[in-house]
Amino acid sequence: MVESIVSTGLAIGCIYALIAITYNVMFSASRVFSFTAGTLGMLGGVLGSLFIARMGMPVAAGFLLALAGGAVLGIVTEIVAVRPVLKSLDQHLYVLSTLALALMIQQFTAIEWSTEPQPFPRLFDIARGGFDQQIWLPMLACAVVIVGLELLYRHTLIGHAILAIAEDNFAARALGLPERSLRVASFALAGVIGALAGFAGGEMLLAFFANAPMLTFYGFVPVALGGMGNNRGAVVAGLLLGLFQQTANFLVGGIFASVAVFTVFIIVLLVRPEGLAGVTFQRRV
Amino acid sequence: MDTQATQLRPSRPNVLGSVSTFSVTLPFLALLLVGISLPLFGGGYWGVIATRACVYWVLVSGLNLVVGFGGQIAIGWVALLTLGAYTTSVLVAGTVTPALPPYLALAIAAVVGAIFGLIIGLPALRLRTFYFAITTLGFATIVTQVALAWQSVTGGGVGVAGPIFPEPFASQWGFYYFCFGFAAICTWMTANIAASRFGRALTAIRDAEVAAEASGISKSALLGTVFLFSGAVAAVAGGLFAALQSYITPDAFTLDLSILFFIAILIGGRGSILGPLLGTILLTVLPEFAAPLVAWSTFLYAVLLLVIVLAIPGGIAEILDFKNRRPLESDRAIIPRPELLEPLLGAPPDAGALTLDEVALSFGGVRAIDGLDLEIRPGQVHGLIGPNGSGKTTTLNVISGYYAPQRGAVRLNGAALPVFARHRRAHMRIARTFQTPRIVGSASVLQNVMIGGTIDGEGTFVESLLSLPRHRRDEATLRDTAILALAAVGLERLAPVRADRLQHSELRFTEIARALMLRPAFLLLDEPAAGLSAEEIERLGALILAIARAGTGVLVVEHHPDLIFDICHHVTVLNLGKILAAGTPAGIRAHREVVNAYLGA
Amino acid sequence: MAITRRQALASVGAAALASGLAKPAIAAKDPILIGYLPALTGPSSSTGVGINRGIQLAVQEINAAGGVDGRQLELITRDTQSDPTKAVNGAAELTHGQKVSAVFGPVNSGESLAVVPLLARANTPQIHPCWVDTLTDSKKYPMCFRNAPTNQQIGGAANHYVVDVLKRKKVAVVSDTTGYGTASVNTYVPMLKAKGADVVYQGNVDAANPDLKPELLRMQSAGAEAIMPWSVNAGFLSRIINTRGQMGWDVPIVGQTTLGSGQTQALLEKPEYWAKVYPNNFRPVCYAAGGKLSDRTNAFLDRLKSAKIDMGDTLLWWIALGYDSPRMIAEAMKNVGTEPEQIVGYLNKLKEFPGVYGDIAFTADKHDGYPDNEVVMVEANSLKDGAFNLAPGYGA
Repeated sequence: MVESIVSTGLAIGCIYALIAITYNVMFSASRVFSFTAGTLGMLGGVLGSLFIARMGMPVAAGFLLALAGGAVLGIVTEIVAVRPVLKSLDQHLYVLSTLALALMIQQFTAIEWSTEPQPFPRLFDIARGGFDQQIWLPMLACAVVIVGLELLYRHTLIGHAILAIAEDNFAARALGLPERSLRVASFALAGVIGALAGFAGGEMLLAFFANAPMLTFYGFVPVALGGMGNNRGAVVAGLLLGLFQQTANFLVGGIFASVAVFTVFIIVLLVRPEGLAGVTFQRRV
Repeated sequence: MDTQATQLRPSRPNVLGSVSTFSVTLPFLALLLVGISLPLFGGGYWGVIATRACVYWVLVSGLNLVVGFGGQIAIGWVALLTLGAYTTSVLVAGTVTPALPPYLALAIAAVVGAIFGLIIGLPALRLRTFYFAITTLGFATIVTQVALAWQSVTGGGVGVAGPIFPEPFASQWGFYYFCFGFAAICTWMTANIAASRFGRALTAIRDAEVAAEASGISKSALLGTVFLFSGAVAAVAGGLFAALQSYITPDAFTLDLSILFFIAILIGGRGSILGPLLGTILLTVLPEFAAPLVAWSTFLYAVLLLVIVLAIPGGIAEILDFKNRRPLESDRAIIPRPELLEPLLGAPPDAGALTLDEVALSFGGVRAIDGLDLEIRPGQVHGLIGPNGSGKTTTLNVISGYYAPQRGAVRLNGAALPVFARHRRAHMRIARTFQTPRIVGSASVLQNVMIGGTIDGEGTFVESLLSLPRHRRDEATLRDTAILALAAVGLERLAPVRADRLQHSELRFTEIARALMLRPAFLLLDEPAAGLSAEEIERLGALILAIARAGTGVLVVEHHPDLIFDICHHVTVLNLGKILAAGTPAGIRAHREVVNAYLGA
Repeated sequence: MAITRRQALASVGAAALASGLAKPAIAAKDPILIGYLPALTGPSSSTGVGINRGIQLAVQEINAAGGVDGRQLELITRDTQSDPTKAVNGAAELTHGQKVSAVFGPVNSGESLAVVPLLARANTPQIHPCWVDTLTDSKKYPMCFRNAPTNQQIGGAANHYVVDVLKRKKVAVVSDTTGYGTASVNTYVPMLKAKGADVVYQGNVDAANPDLKPELLRMQSAGAEAIMPWSVNAGFLSRIINTRGQMGWDVPIVGQTTLGSGQTQALLEKPEYWAKVYPNNFRPVCYAAGGKLSDRTNAFLDRLKSAKIDMGDTLLWWIALGYDSPRMIAEAMKNVGTEPEQIVGYLNKLKEFPGVYGDIAFTADKHDGYPDNEVVMVEANSLKDGAFNLAPGYGA
């Protein structure tokens, strides 16, 4: 009982954490939250199922193509929904443009792919049971992404440049950093991470268009609780969320579990709007 | 019906020509006519669709105040539709309480909706935009889940029968007229709010929150009121929805519906009544025209939303805004008329001085202000100059209440000002302008200035809702005062023009006009001359002097030493948060250290 | 080539277009308009999609044979998208706008609950296959008929199998959080208790929950000897089956017909997990003792094969039900014409309509037309060509 709750809770927590990282990477590059983060997660699963199960490609090829699809969607988000809005005075338009884009993709998937959950292929032909690949694939993906981002930001030039843009946009531009290209690259990276989350979680969540709104919400909770742009906080919060959700599922049942998650989320946010680890704001005058 | 244009009756011919009230109310009258006569040319099918559009509009009209006017991204408002629908249906069905008459049930639903509207909306006061949007989605899901789980009351998955209203509203067309009546009343009420100080204050919170605070608008009070109203109205829509469906189950309250409401407002255009009304009708009716489109309806709504956001952010309202397409004169001059200041500002205030005593404030390790003494006397102009980063704007912000001094105090007439009570400053008749003009771009210049006088209104929200006499008096007085203020600063010809069409210098003078609406005892000007031409700076100087002569104490933060030396009675020079020198302009000009540090040889 | 959902929709569009274009050429006999409210898209569309294949085939056949009294049948389809509000809009258009002679559908209970009163007010005869018990009422809705079993009948057969045939006394009843699921649990638990069973677990689980192990562990620790899931969500049902298999827990799963659908099968982790799964089904479309189908059903399967209708991702009985419905309506109209009261009068006396799916009979007091004894339990993993074997030990 407990081990099932813990293992599933951690696994699904890793998926939530990865979506939270997707949000954060987009936010760092543009100071904007995009509703497409959850949709990227959904597409990771759907594309994986499409390429491998339906079109019969080998797992590695399907995997790479799914990630490529995520990168493409990330870039499309930047070009269509973020860049035009950053130029305008009304910052809040990004909420609407990314919402519109996310809805379009979700509806298109529902109609063209299926409104029912479709099977996601078994990636490694190992026997089931025990510490199953359903459980460790998301954990592996999460670890890879965390380590990878760490290496990228700290040890590569492009990573430093991305951090600079996030830290102080004007100064970075004054230094000649190609802000737009870096932002596009960040969104592509975010797309890859989101697709990876969906692909790694595919066996657990299946290829289902309704994963998008679910991941949009549950992937945002770690961002809100862990502090905007704070990846470590997001991972911790994601894992906690996964555990909490599975525990609540077991203790109070399906309907009340989601009510419990929402309620706790809203209460925590009201008490600490900047998140449990976040920083409060400075002047706006 | 009071609409935005009826306020625009300037006393002299203006740049855009006169605006007829009739042309603005015409679309509403046309819709009214079509709606009333629908049974004559539309069959039962279009009756159902029209009823549905009316029901949706009842909810959207209230949500419009929250989203379109208040700028709050409340995506999950279907929660209130659900609440209203279930409350009404359960009370009429008599499963939990003795069966109540439908009208009473609807009224009770409205009260429940108001309370929950407040609950769902209140996080907006604490959370950033995206966070608030997500929490409203969370609420929408919670309400649906509760409806599913609370089987003893709501019937769970099987649902509950909707209410049936007694004759004459029981038949199909009777019920249509019932809903149409509600829709018409809601249109009228929200149009009244739009043309009231509450509507303008909402747009100020949306687009220029800092200016709203400085004008004395309390964001929490105003948003709280609007959430109450919007929640009540949404719940009434829910009761009507339940009657229309004749049976409600949780799966009727989809997130798609919530998106539809939200998108209707955005497509219609924020800050408009007619736009979202047309948007609601469009989105309700559109899928019915082509049966194969039904599956793609949410996709199409999303495409429309994206197109609007990227191409026509003002939505349908912007497309229909013909009067603001007419070109403006290219060489416009701002010619203030200081003689109008006396009737505008009234008798000089007998306030004491506004003083800063030994005020110190640090941000982290940086001492922004270090032991600052300042005195602003009524009737005098005090200049505050210094290099960038010397603490000038921080000083203004301390006086305005954005920061609490860590040492010392800001005093008015000897009594310390409450810290952080930014919107109380206006009540103390302390007004200010900002380094970058904070304007509601989509509103007219006149409406922007009227925002400055918001706290002078006496009528309550309900009085504005129902366009009662006190509301109309308030509006007339505000309008006249604002026109006077615009004339005083020299901008009355631009009164009906959309503010975002103005030049930068005109916006600066608009801000001054808005500040003057408070009949301020003290006026704080943050770099008012930035971006002005030499001629305009001269006129600005004369205006400031005239304002001081009328009894106001003025503090001018500036980078243009010439302006300061011309008009100020006293000058304080800051450097690195400390006073470098203070005294008369002549004295400062000769002061050796000032010359070295700041003025140059 | 198999007909996919999209091709079916496209063929409807083409047929409508063709019939519209062809009108001037054919002699002026107006078509008979039949309204049709399926959920072809949206979350609860699997039933609608399956039924749709049968309906289209039936209407094509009827029209090819000359229609009804020389008048062609025209199906006016309004996709409800699994949404009760769109169902109401669609029903209003069919009755007031198109003025159809009869309506078939909606196919989901949530939508029907809203539409039945509307069609009653519009004086339009309605036949629907939804299961929620309250959806027929010969007094309140005299023109509404159901040509499928009720929840009571379905649950009764399943409960009978679990308690009387398999002799399991301790039962776990589980559903998802949809209207149908929660209503089913509410109906079946008292029925089980009335039979003397002990309901050790009763719950509604979010269908999106990827891990049902805690739920099944609870059932197991409560001592459940059988699991009865009620849901049309293939993902949810497959998770239950998979988890039981992973746990190695040897209890029968007895419940909703979708347990045996191709969609559920596709989501199973191992084919052997499908053993000891007993969904509802309907005798006419099942293999009888000798492994044979009835002649009527065989003939139907042949027709499906020649029309190249795909069965792999749906259930045969949905297609059969869809096939029978317009034929029953056409039969009524052939006998008494298209006036509403006449059609209703005919149906009220219908002794036995020989459907592929079942023999339907109505009376003036009983508008639920499906016979009790044709609701049976089958063995899921005996699926072959869309039909199943009866469950073991099953003697009607």
